[in-house]
Amino acid sequence: MTVLTRGTERTAAQEQPSARRRNARERAWAVAFASPYLLHLVALTAWPVLASLFFSMTEYDLMSPPRFVGFGNFARLFGDETFWRTLGNTAYFAVLFVPTQTALALLLAIALNQRLRGMALFRAAYFVPVVSSWVVVAYVADAVFNPQTGIANQVLGLAGLPAENWLQDPVLVIPTLAAVAVWKGVGYMMVLFLAGLQAIPEERYEAAKIDGASAWSRFRYVTLPGISGTTFLVLVLTSIETLQSFEQVYVMTDGGPHGASELTVLYLYRQGFQFFQMGYASAVAWVLFVLVLALTLVQFRLQRRWVHYA
Amino acid sequence: MRVRMLAAAAAVLALAATAACGGGSAGDDGTVTLRLGFYAAAGDPADTTMRELVKEFSAANPSIKVQLEVAPYVKFFERLRTQIAGGQAPQVWLSDGVLVQEFAARGALADLTDRVKTVNAADYSGIELNRDQKGRVFGFPQGAQTPVLFYNKKLFAEAGVAEPTAEWTYDDLAAAAKKLTKDTNGDGKPDTYGMRVYSPGFTESWWPIIKAFGGDIVTDGNRKVVVDSPEAKAALDWMLAAMGKDGFAPDYVTTEALGKGAVHALFATGRVAMSYGIYARTLPAVNAKVDFGVAPLPKGPKGRGNVAIVNSWVVSKAASPAQADAAWKWITYFAGEGPQSRWARLGEAIPINKKAAASALPADRGKVFLEALDAAGDLGTNAVWSEYTEALAKRVNEALSGATPVATALKTGQQEAQQVIDRFYAGQTQ
Repeated sequence: MTVLTRGTERTAAQEQPSARRRNARERAWAVAFASPYLLHLVALTAWPVLASLFFSMTEYDLMSPPRFVGFGNFARLFGDETFWRTLGNTAYFAVLFVPTQTALALLLAIALNQRLRGMALFRAAYFVPVVSSWVVVAYVADAVFNPQTGIANQVLGLAGLPAENWLQDPVLVIPTLAAVAVWKGVGYMMVLFLAGLQAIPEERYEAAKIDGASAWSRFRYVTLPGISGTTFLVLVLTSIETLQSFEQVYVMTDGGPHGASELTVLYLYRQGFQFFQMGYASAVAWVLFVLVLALTLVQFRLQRRWVHYA
Repeated sequence: MRVRMLAAAAAVLALAATAACGGGSAGDDGTVTLRLGFYAAAGDPADTTMRELVKEFSAANPSIKVQLEVAPYVKFFERLRTQIAGGQAPQVWLSDGVLVQEFAARGALADLTDRVKTVNAADYSGIELNRDQKGRVFGFPQGAQTPVLFYNKKLFAEAGVAEPTAEWTYDDLAAAAKKLTKDTNGDGKPDTYGMRVYSPGFTESWWPIIKAFGGDIVTDGNRKVVVDSPEAKAALDWMLAAMGKDGFAPDYVTTEALGKGAVHALFATGRVAMSYGIYARTLPAVNAKVDFGVAPLPKGPKGRGNVAIVNSWVVSKAASPAQADAAWKWITYFAGEGPQSRWARLGEAIPINKKAAASALPADRGKVFLEALDAAGDLGTNAVWSEYTEALAKRVNEALSGATPVATALKTGQQEAQQVIDRFYAGQTQ
C-alpha cells in the first residue's frame, strides 16, 4: 500500500509493474478472504453437483464402486412409466398450487395492507404456518381431512353432502395436498406482496383518483403493474418450490394411495436411498434440474412482456 | 507473502479435511475399537437395554472398546448407506432381517458361514432363514418376528363366541368375525369389527393369507414372482369380501386413514376383535391392558402360511480381522441366554436363543409364537426386496382398495416386481 503514496514522481513505465504487483496482491487477498466461502462452494456445492452428474452415468449402489453405463440411466428413465407418472403428478400439483397460492397471497396482502389496529397480529397469524414444520402441519391437516374425524367431512355432512376420503382418494389427494400447501406457504408470499404493495408510490393512486379511475381500474392499471416484479418473483420461487416438493408428501401420504401423490423428488429419494440406485436417482435429479431450469428460463423470457420495473 | 498465504490455505484445507474425516480404529495396545450400530428411538426401552448390555459386554471384554451408533429406524439405514459408501460403516450393526440380503448382495457384509459353524445351530432359531441361495450366511439372528392370530378375550366373551383354536380354518375365522362385528350406536356402521384383514404391512396381512390359500409370492430362490395365480386371487377375494359384502373387517380407506403405524391401534383399542400380529404387537396390547390371547394362524386350503422376519447382526466386510473377531464375540454374547432373556423382557421380539425363549416368553403366548416360528418360511428376501415388494404391494393394495380388479392387479404386480428382480440379477454373478 505504501507504494501508492510514493508514486507521484514515477513515470508511467515505472508505475506499470508496481500496479500489476499491487493488483496481484489485492487479488490474492481477495481470494484469501473469500476462501472460506469458495471452499464451501467447491466442496459442498460444485463437487457434489459434478459428482452427481458423473453418478447419473453410472450404476452405483453406494456399496460397490460405480460402473459406467453412459446414458443408460437416462434411456431407462424415458421408458420408466412410474417416472412419467410422478412427473405428471408434480405438474398437476404445480398447476393447482402455483396460481392458487399466488392469487391468494395477493388477495391477503391487499386485505392486510391497511393501517388498522391489530393488523400486525393478522399478518403474523398468516405467517405462523410458514414457520411450522411439515410434521406439525400434517397433524393439523389430519384434523381437517381425516375421513372419520376430520372437520371437512363434518362440514360436508352439515351441507347434506357425502363424506370424502380426501387423502386416500386417488382423485382428491393432489388437490387436498395443494390446499394444505397453500395454507402453509401463502403467508410467506403474502409478505413479499405486502412489501411490493408498499413500494408503490401513493401519488400514482392519487393521480388515478383525480383522473376518475374506479377502484378496479386503480387495481388493474396501478397496483398490478406496480407489483409485477414481485409477482414474477413469487411465480418463479413458487414454481421451483413445487417442482422440488418432497417433505409434504413424505410426511402426509408417502406417495399414496397407490402412487397417486408420488411426486418426482419422492421417487428420486426412494430410488437413491431405499433401493440403492444412486446412479438412477442422479439421472432423475438431472432431468428434474433441466426441467426446472427450462421453466425458469421460459418465465424469464415471458417476463419481458408483462413485468414493469419502475 | 505468497508463501504465508499458501500456508494459511493449506492449514484451512487440512482443518477441513480433519473435520470431514471420522476417526476410530484398532489401537496399538491390543485394544480393538468396535463401532456398533443399531436402530432405536432415543430413550426407547430398547435403547436403554442395549446400552446396559453393551456395558456388561465391555466389562467382560476390556480389550474391546465399543462405540455405539444409534438412530431411529429410517435415519439409521439412510445414514448407514452413506457410511458404507464412504467406507465409514460400523463394523457390526443390527439389520432388519429383510435387508440382510440387500446389503450382502452388494458386497457390504462379511460372510459369517464359517463362524456360524462354530455354534450349535440347534440352540438358536432363525439361522436357516438367513441362508442365501448358495448356502451362505451373512447375518446372525438377534430377534425374530412371526405373525399369529391375536384375539380380544373380552369381546369374544361378550359376543358369546368360542375362542380360536389351532383347528380353525378361514371359514371359522369369517363366521366368528361376523358374529363379533357390532354396530353399537346404530349409525349403520360397525363400531367393532370382527377382524382386521388389510394392513399396509403385508407380513400381517396379504402375504400369509395368499400362502395359506395355496398361492405363493416368489419361488426359485426368491427370484421368480408367481403371485399371479388362482390361489392368490382367491385369497385377495376373501379379503375383499371381508371388507365388503361380509363387512366384518374395516376397509382399506378406514385403515389407511389411521395413518402410518397406527393400524395396530385397531386391536389395542378394541376396534377389532381379531388381528394378525407379529410378536412386537403384544406390547401395545399389554400397555392398553387388553385381555387378549394368541392362536395359530387359521388353516387355509394349503396350510397356515407362516412367515418370519429374523432381525440379525451383520458384520461389515470392511472390518479388520480383529474387529470382525470382536464383532463375532459381541454377536455370540448377545445370542446367549442371559442377554436374550433380558431383551425378551422388552416384549419386542421372540428370543432366538431357544432356552431363553422357553423361559422368558409368557407361557400362554410363547408356545404359539414358537410353533409359528418353527413352521415359518422367509419373507421372499432377496437383493431387491424393498423395491420388488413395494412394486407388488402397490398393485395388491390397489386391488384391496377396490380401485383395480384383483386379476389385473396380480398380473401387473407380478410383471412389475419381476422386472425389478430381473434388472438386478441380469449380469450378476452372485
